[in-house]
Amino acid sequence: MIKKKICMVGAFGVGKTSLVARFVHSMYAEKYQTTVGVKIDKKVVQHPSGEVTLVLWDLAGEDAVTTVRPVHLKGASGYILVMDGLRRNTLAVAVDLHGRVSEALGTIPFVCVVNKADVRESWEVRQADLDELITRGWTVVETSAKTGTAVEELFHTLTDTMMRELHDDDSTADAVAG
Amino acid sequence: MSTSPLRGLLQGDGLNGGSPGDYTRLRELLVGPEQSRLEELQRRLDDKQLRTEDLSQIVAEAIALRARRDHSLQKTLNPVIEEAVRLSVKRDPSFLANALYPVIGEAVRKSVAQALRGLVDSINQTLERRLSFEALQWRFEGWRTRRPFAEIVLARSLGYRVEQVFLIHRETGLLLQHVARADEVLDSDMVAGMLSAIQDFMRDSFKGKGGMKAVEMDDGLNLWAQHGPTTILAAVASGTPPPELHDLLQRTLERVEAECAPLLAPFQGDATAFATARPLLESCLLGRQAQGKRKRSRLFFVAFAATLMLAIGLVSFLIARSHRRWDRLVVQLRSEPGIVLTAADRSWGRYELVGLRDPLATDPDTLVRASGINPQKVTSRWEPYVSLDGKFALSREFETEQTALEQTVLRFPLNSATLSAEQLAKLDDIEVHIFKLQSDGARLGKKFVIELRGNTDPSGSEAKNDALSQMRAEIVSSTLVSRGVSPDMLRTVALGSRQPVQRASGAYLTELNRRVIFRVLTESKASQ
Repeated sequence: MIKKKICMVGAFGVGKTSLVARFVHSMYAEKYQTTVGVKIDKKVVQHPSGEVTLVLWDLAGEDAVTTVRPVHLKGASGYILVMDGLRRNTLAVAVDLHGRVSEALGTIPFVCVVNKADVRESWEVRQADLDELITRGWTVVETSAKTGTAVEELFHTLTDTMMRELHDDDSTADAVAG
Repeated sequence: MSTSPLRGLLQGDGLNGGSPGDYTRLRELLVGPEQSRLEELQRRLDDKQLRTEDLSQIVAEAIALRARRDHSLQKTLNPVIEEAVRLSVKRDPSFLANALYPVIGEAVRKSVAQALRGLVDSINQTLERRLSFEALQWRFEGWRTRRPFAEIVLARSLGYRVEQVFLIHRETGLLLQHVARADEVLDSDMVAGMLSAIQDFMRDSFKGKGGMKAVEMDDGLNLWAQHGPTTILAAVASGTPPPELHDLLQRTLERVEAECAPLLAPFQGDATAFATARPLLESCLLGRQAQGKRKRSRLFFVAFAATLMLAIGLVSFLIARSHRRWDRLVVQLRSEPGIVLTAADRSWGRYELVGLRDPLATDPDTLVRASGINPQKVTSRWEPYVSLDGKFALSREFETEQTALEQTVLRFPLNSATLSAEQLAKLDDIEVHIFKLQSDGARLGKKFVIELRGNTDPSGSEAKNDALSQMRAEIVSSTLVSRGVSPDMLRTVALGSRQPVQRASGAYLTELNRRVIFRVLTESKASQ
């Protein structure tokens, strides 16, 4: 069985926790986030190459007083960058976090999530913003924690990317070895 | 229409009739550009400088690529690097020393601290265990089965139980393997993640550098962890685990790291392969809970200690008492007249007395018996001597007078109770002896009587002889009384011819038996 460490990062109150709450196996209360700075959840994803266990590190939200601790990012194979469609400033935070995570971990698979898709008409974040992200090569998924839209797909997308990366590594190695 | 040189060549002379110059031209036309490129390549290959430049541009990527593929590059470089390091150290050891200084300092500090902590733990434990009956049993078992003591302690200790063991990948916090006694309701993947997160939290919050080794709860739940270079081995135990568990975890971790090294270096999240470590982890699920047992063993220990203390107290008391008795006896012997103690030794419950003893002095054995010391444990050697002590001079004078008196014999003619003048003269001496005995006896507090024993020779009838012997004794008695001797001190005895002198024979024998002799009977003898 393959296991992967995944981090969930994003600005404070973007709904990281509620985004996954209905879709993951959870045993720790939210208070861990405010005390230890992280809460661990688990998600098992079915993948053509077998079951993949995602151990989700739901990191405390980013605001003036909470900063993502690099120590918690260590060893992650991928991450989910969450922003709130209703708050444009969360986009800036996400971009900043992306830079910081890349600095700490190098280029690793990630999926950018714009939450609260159920109220898309009220978004502050505009399509142009998202297009800009897509041109950067980001995978952007619009989800709704409320309706559950695209949450499962989110995990599958990330898993696929990570597994492809893993197999790419393997095939490169095979090619060179051959 | 222009004609190309090539067509000219083909149409004109044909291939068969062409000159060598034509061929060269043809070749130039056909492969001219490739030719020059080949020459350029050749030049680059021949030019060492250029080749080096080329290679320098790709060497880093090439090495990275190869290193990712397999380990042959490392193997190839290994001896080279070793040799380079060796040469570097040979040339200037301080360079490497300076480079390693921060690392070594830290490593040594860590190692010493760990060793000291282990030492303190083990001293504590040893002190706790030294006297317990259980520990003695375990030591015996260890000796019998040739197993290390620590192993037996872990296997036999009661009051703790390792419930679960986690093997966690250090960098990612992912669970590699998990073993537990019962079906766990908790999700071990998440627990492992949270454990890593808490470790990070501790390190981050309190600027620690190492790993969290132990978390202990009030209700006796413990989390003990050991940190390897790439993995963490954490055990959850209830009760009070013995410190040996730390060593066991450390050893297990070292084995896991060694056995799984090929899997750990390129860890990509595949935990399946770590099933091989399962038996090692299972070997850590030790201990058993024994409710109340511990309390009883403590009670037993207290009782044992109390008995021991009591026994020690009793033995000390007995030893002290026998010392006191011995000291008293020695003092008594030293002050006893007629006894000179020259040596008094005591060792391992045996006693020895050596000295001089006047025969008149109190028997030392009676003193020994009176002291309360077992006479069988006392060896004594007494050399006889004559004491000049006043008490003995008087006794000795009494004895001299007694002997003198008892050697005196008053003789009588045949069939007569009359003392001749010659025999009467002896009475003066006798009188002196008796007065001396009287005064000495009074001073010594000795009571005595003097028996006057009348004898006859064997001739004549027994009745007559008895009467005659009685008369002879009474004559002497009355004569002495007339000279001032107290009649209370004298007692007459008629022996007739029943106690004759044995040593003589014939007429002389007969003559010797006609006599009165004196016997001094001191109080004990007189009463018999």
